[in-house]
Amino acid sequence: MSAVLNENADAAGDVTKGAISINDVVKIYDPDGAAVMAVDHCSIDIPAGEICMIVGPSGCGKTTLLNAIAGFHDITSGSIHLDGELLCGPEKPQAEPGSDRIVVFQNGALFPWKTNLENIAFGPMMAGKLSKQEIYDKARSMMADAGLSGTENNYPGEVSSGLRRRVEIVRALMNDPKVLLFDEPYRALDSLTKSVMHEALLEIYYRNKVTIFFITHDLEEAIFLGHRLIIMSSRPCKPKKIVEVDIPHPRDYSVLTSPRFREIMIEAKDVVHEEAQKAFDAGEKEG
Amino acid sequence: MDQFVDLLKSAMPFRMVPDNLIRDIAEICTQHSFAARENIYNLGDIADDVYIVSSGSVQHILGADSGTSQHEKIMRRGDMFGWAAVLEGQNTRLAATSSKEPTQVIRINGKELTRLLETDPAVGDVVMTRFATMINKEFSVPRSIADLVPGFKQALTAKSLQGSEVTTMALTVYRISTWLKSPRPYLMIIGFAFVLGFWYLSVEIWKLPRFVDMPGPTEVFTEWFSKDPYYGLSVYTPEYYKHIGISLRRIAFAFFLATGLGVPLGLFLGWSKSFREFIFPLFEVLRPIPVLAWVPLAIIIFSGSETPVVFLTFLASFFATTLNTMLGVESIDESYSRAAYCLGASRWQTFIHVVVPGAMPYIFTGLQISIGVAWFSLVAGEMVSGQFGLGYLINTSYMMIEYPKIIIGMITLGIIGYSTSAMVRMMGDYLMQWRVRELALGDN
Repeated sequence: MSAVLNENADAAGDVTKGAISINDVVKIYDPDGAAVMAVDHCSIDIPAGEICMIVGPSGCGKTTLLNAIAGFHDITSGSIHLDGELLCGPEKPQAEPGSDRIVVFQNGALFPWKTNLENIAFGPMMAGKLSKQEIYDKARSMMADAGLSGTENNYPGEVSSGLRRRVEIVRALMNDPKVLLFDEPYRALDSLTKSVMHEALLEIYYRNKVTIFFITHDLEEAIFLGHRLIIMSSRPCKPKKIVEVDIPHPRDYSVLTSPRFREIMIEAKDVVHEEAQKAFDAGEKEG
Repeated sequence: MDQFVDLLKSAMPFRMVPDNLIRDIAEICTQHSFAARENIYNLGDIADDVYIVSSGSVQHILGADSGTSQHEKIMRRGDMFGWAAVLEGQNTRLAATSSKEPTQVIRINGKELTRLLETDPAVGDVVMTRFATMINKEFSVPRSIADLVPGFKQALTAKSLQGSEVTTMALTVYRISTWLKSPRPYLMIIGFAFVLGFWYLSVEIWKLPRFVDMPGPTEVFTEWFSKDPYYGLSVYTPEYYKHIGISLRRIAFAFFLATGLGVPLGLFLGWSKSFREFIFPLFEVLRPIPVLAWVPLAIIIFSGSETPVVFLTFLASFFATTLNTMLGVESIDESYSRAAYCLGASRWQTFIHVVVPGAMPYIFTGLQISIGVAWFSLVAGEMVSGQFGLGYLINTSYMMIEYPKIIIGMITLGIIGYSTSAMVRMMGDYLMQWRVRELALGDN
């Protein structure tokens, strides 16, 4: 097991920033006085530069965990650290949102009223440390690297959904984040576009190694992208099984047909299915 | 045929290609058999077809100048080779191939395959990208060669290129031409003709009992365009333009005041919860009071005849603008402001860059309503108080029994009211280019 971890650490390169440590986090929602436990004593350690896939049925509370890291919600108890620094804990229940942890949203959150270039330049423009010219030059070169040249002056609504997701990832990377938080970003895409997006995401990752916290309920996606799968139990949400994906990076789509991929798939599938069944029986809704 | 389909589906670049396209490709496949150790093609041969192994195995040796790190490769069922046929600007073979055992392969003409893939650019581009990846990764040929695989990026970005060229002018021409091609203008003409015809028949031909005092269209239009109008009002008299000018000035004052106060108030109502709890209940009580109920109070409070009319006109517009702006702020997807915070924006920056543009579509809906109700309250106000203006014209013409002038005033109101609301819409289109382009190109 540890050998595998080391191998993955190699694959992640010499990334030194972006280790997330989630300690004993509990989140209880209390709407209308009926306390609902969304996250139950959850502890996860993610080394810097790892692609960590959080897998679980819809509505199991995965997004609650992501929101706590991003600083959109408070936590009831426990603590979350980023590179040893406290994000949220007993004295400070809600983290401050910041450009070191950027979320790529489920339905995409590019500003439709800004062009692709303006969207990508948004973070640095808000920080105001560089001149507009410097920011736009950097944005253009990052767009070129991601194959987005020629779409700078288009509005997000004018380009394909696949292209929009790529713009959104580039927008995040413009800020040199330590962590990218993905909230099922490819959920609404068709399988063909999805497969292209996966390869594009890995390609971007190989060029800009950051820690990736990726929520999904798609097992194939999880195994294809991740160094490690953390399979969550359905509500309340806590890690149930950890699956190491020892398929070496860089990967491309031919990995999907490899025997090792199938083995991992089988190993993970039963656990996921069991949790999905539980969630279904409990009448959990989508979300 | 079916065996071609199965084979194609198992080949890596074609995985997940829709069935209808697979079948089209299967149409152009041909099967060939080779005995053991038979040459298939040589280095430097004309590259016309790509191959997929269907049974047996093929020895594939890349030429020295291909830049590969591994020259020899064995191809088995489902493996593709001969991809030089789809490379752009490459018409000779980069490798030599021969069968290792009795082998069957299918051949697909590279040019025809490219043409077929082009018919569905989105899928075609995926297949081509896979080709490039395969050439680069599996055959370990340098990226520069893999990049010769044609892409259909122009198709992917065709829409967007179109978008950048959409100028306001082109858009207007496009809209007018589609409008003329649609049945809408003709239905519109029929609608007008129907009303005018009914007016003409009922007044001038049938002379229906209750229509005796009503002026007919002939009388109205003769008066309206007469150089020497009988009742003293036509497009040639300065008095006509004085009425229009004064009404327009009141509308302009009231509308800009309502917009200037209503939009910021609405933005803050939507943005700040505590501000809303403080102001909104009061707002909700005042809003349903009809403009006419304000008339006496307006006359008592404001001096002269001008300010009460402007105040009344302002009131209804203000409520419509404020309410819609507030709804606009509430309509903004929470992800946008979260994304802005994530990207390091402060609360104020988020307000300027997310809340204001995000609420813009609703604000302009509000302004459309606002300009409409402004005309409504203006006429009501002018009928009760004030001098000049189209409402005043209609009311005094009624009292002076100059009926054709009533109709002239009404039609003028209709035309000017429509023009002002069209101007608001154009202003909105100008400020929301992103929306215009999205709508013009169809939502995707």
